[in-house]
Amino acid sequence: MTDFLQYLVNGLTIGTFLALIALGYSMVYGVLRLINFAHGDVFMVGSFAGLAVLTGASTSGPMTALAIVGAVLAGSLVSGVLGVGIMRVAYAPLLRAPKISLLIGAIGVSFALEEGVKLLTHAGFRSYPHVLPQTMLLSGPVRISYSQVVLIVLALGLMFGLWAFITRTVRGTAMRALAMDSDAARLMGIDVERVVLTTFFIGSVLAGTAGVMYGLYYTQINFAVGFLVGLRAFTAAVLGGIGNMVGAAVAGILIGLVQSFAAGYVSSRWADVIIFGVLIGALVLRPHGLFGERVAERV
Amino acid sequence: MSVSACKKSGGDEGGAIKIGVPVPLSGDSASAGQDILAAAKTAAAEINEAGGIKGRKIEIVEADDACTPQQSAQAAQKLVNSGVVAAAGGYCSGAAVPAAPIFGRANVPFVLDASTNPVLTDDGQGKVFRTCGRDDRQGEFAAKFIVDTLHAKRVAILHDNTTYAKGLAEAANASIKKNGQAEVAYLDALTAGQSDYTPVLTKIAGLKPDVLYFTGYFAEAGLLLKQRKQLGLTFQMVGGDATTDASALRTAGDTAEGFIATTAPLPTTLPAAADFVRRYKALNNGSEPGPFSAYEYDAIKVLAKAIEKGGTTDLIKTLHGLEEQQGITGSIAFDEKGDRKTLTFIAVTVQAGKYTAYKP
Repeated sequence: MTDFLQYLVNGLTIGTFLALIALGYSMVYGVLRLINFAHGDVFMVGSFAGLAVLTGASTSGPMTALAIVGAVLAGSLVSGVLGVGIMRVAYAPLLRAPKISLLIGAIGVSFALEEGVKLLTHAGFRSYPHVLPQTMLLSGPVRISYSQVVLIVLALGLMFGLWAFITRTVRGTAMRALAMDSDAARLMGIDVERVVLTTFFIGSVLAGTAGVMYGLYYTQINFAVGFLVGLRAFTAAVLGGIGNMVGAAVAGILIGLVQSFAAGYVSSRWADVIIFGVLIGALVLRPHGLFGERVAERV
Repeated sequence: MSVSACKKSGGDEGGAIKIGVPVPLSGDSASAGQDILAAAKTAAAEINEAGGIKGRKIEIVEADDACTPQQSAQAAQKLVNSGVVAAAGGYCSGAAVPAAPIFGRANVPFVLDASTNPVLTDDGQGKVFRTCGRDDRQGEFAAKFIVDTLHAKRVAILHDNTTYAKGLAEAANASIKKNGQAEVAYLDALTAGQSDYTPVLTKIAGLKPDVLYFTGYFAEAGLLLKQRKQLGLTFQMVGGDATTDASALRTAGDTAEGFIATTAPLPTTLPAAADFVRRYKALNNGSEPGPFSAYEYDAIKVLAKAIEKGGTTDLIKTLHGLEEQQGITGSIAFDEKGDRKTLTFIAVTVQAGKYTAYKP
């Protein structure tokens, strides 16, 4: 039983990261019908931006908290700007081309980012400074650290903020309108380009924040870290019903739990097989994902 | 470099003698590869300063094998094409395995400094040599150390499914079973590159082992140490020789204290390496040599000795016939397979953020 609870805690922690990244995949798909394969690498770049700030700042004494906040801000901003830049430079010229060109463009951007960071960081892994306190909230048979709680609460807060933005603001409403039918939205006077850029910015900010949180928590990142994390987050987005925000968040946490339980009760070697098995199974039973609705497919 | 560097042959007709160094310069093991390459260059600089080999300089030709089989095969082919007379390097056994026959077909001796899988010399037709140890011998040593010195009754063994890690895990497992004084409670692999190993650690903790022997690489070792502490687990963690890279300690921070690793002697525990460490630091902006740097240094030195004795043709035969050489890692002579006749293993432990010789 204690093992079960520990797997649950571990899984929730992994799932929070996946959920934050999955939201970006889902948002971009919602407005552009594009699987943004570079999204995982935006997460990675955010993580490196945070590391750059932490390396430069003094990370001892009362300045630590400030350095962490600075790193999170830097990571989210760099990623946000990068996301908008990718949209403008790589995707905007292809919007009228067949969807497959856009998809190939996204894969190209992904490789460019990975190889670029690889050249800049000398290819090995990089270690984050150990700035998160290791004190435990629960240190009995089941262990939960304060860092984990803060991480999960922060992620949930960001998700709630996103939800409020999408449902309560004009720009958010425009985003949803665009996701439903971009031509009709344009006819209703929505500035489609601005809404698309906003979507990229917010999705990338979430990924960048997740990247810095990931680095702080695991203290080890490399240029390829976005690939596996991105692939799993993408799986979560599809499982949740791509384009559906709540679905992406819930499925992200679900995938984290599946990974944890699979590694615990079966074997870590089988975790990926089981994750993708669950995805295939779920899609066979519910082709539009757990929360997805039937939408006119244009890919 | 001189014009001769462009010539296809590094053979006997004068010019620089090319020695290839295939190592990972990208990927998670890149830092290990860079340490090995730097050691090769240190040895070459020393030989060249002393006048080279019969007046000819040594030229180090590097190639990135990225620790992957595909890129390693390409790197080996590239080195053969560029006319190296010998190769000295290798880090991941999984990458060295496909490279060995490529060097073999060109009759280029491949002296390994860090790739420890037994298959390499067993199947090497005498054309592969090593200055480092073999996994089966290290596994034997680790089993004996864990059972006799650490008095473990239950042992968990974790690898990462790579050629090296799996070989070492299986060797340790077989040795513990044969010995019969302890039982292996767990033998499985993790998937490298995942960042979160808390599920695996929780599962292992449920089996209540006294010792966890992790035979994978240093990137994962650092994460395992850190997450073991986060989960409040108390079993002793022991690693194989691929965990003795200082960058693992950067990931693990103070959670690495008391970590033990089985390894061939490290530069820090080798008295004869003091001079080498000093020169290495002088050439590399003061950075410390890696765990395999001394073995690479010896590999280059032995090759230079063999070339001096027998020229660049028939180098394989000369290496086999070479009488005992005193290297900084001990005395070096090769058996018929290409393994070192004598090489001892030791245990090291992390104290105050540094690897030091283990004392019970």
